[in-house]
Amino acid sequence: MRIEFYGVLQEAAGREALELPIDAPSRVAHILEELGEQIPALQSHLPRIACAVGDEVIPRSEMVTGDAPLVLLPPVSGG
Amino acid sequence: MEHITDQVLDPEVLKRETENPTCGALVVFEGTVRNHHRGRQVQRMEYTAYKPLAERVLQELEEETKQRFGVVECRIVHRIGELAIGEASVVIVVRSAHRGDAFDAAEWAIDTLKQRVPIWKNDFYTDGTRAYQDGVPLSACGSGEHDSTASDSASSRGS
Repeated sequence: MRIEFYGVLQEAAGREALELPIDAPSRVAHILEELGEQIPALQSHLPRIACAVGDEVIPRSEMVTGDAPLVLLPPVSGG
Repeated sequence: MEHITDQVLDPEVLKRETENPTCGALVVFEGTVRNHHRGRQVQRMEYTAYKPLAERVLQELEEETKQRFGVVECRIVHRIGELAIGEASVVIVVRSAHRGDAFDAAEWAIDTLKQRVPIWKNDFYTDGTRAYQDGVPLSACGSGEHDSTASDSASSRGS
């Protein structure tokens, strides 16, 4: 499953995206747990991120199929 | 019309787009890049966005601003990419019949933008370091654990 990072998460992960070997469909919360184990530098950020697929923010209880990337959004600072 | 652009922002364009003879008030808010952040000297700033969501949220924010305040026109455009000190990062144009609604609407629109739109500031400091500014967690990640943090962060104003 493709995971995309934005903002400070790109720095923490050291990349803009990765392919996470995980069964689909999977619950977002489970994907985040796996991600935190694979990239420990993301752990401290995970409690405050939002998750999106396409132009929708989705809850952590949602199942995602992996047809589209799961996008991780850190706290926002526009303006 | 795009709400996110890597081009220099021109408020005159948005003013022309929103000309309306029923309006007696025009409020233009420009957020500009300032040369300091929390006591450190900033040389320039880079803005990034998650465009699919940012475009939709800004479109909805324009509509919500009009409905909430009864203003006739509201246009919001945010710039991304590298910006120099003094350049505009965001422009909000509101037109209404009377000035009170226009002032209130523009203030609410920028305050709400800062809480809802997936855009990030990366400060480049004069000492050669850089750092993303901390921000406001987007609230709809399901568990509701972000709510108190969001309201706390929203009280500290940026640009």
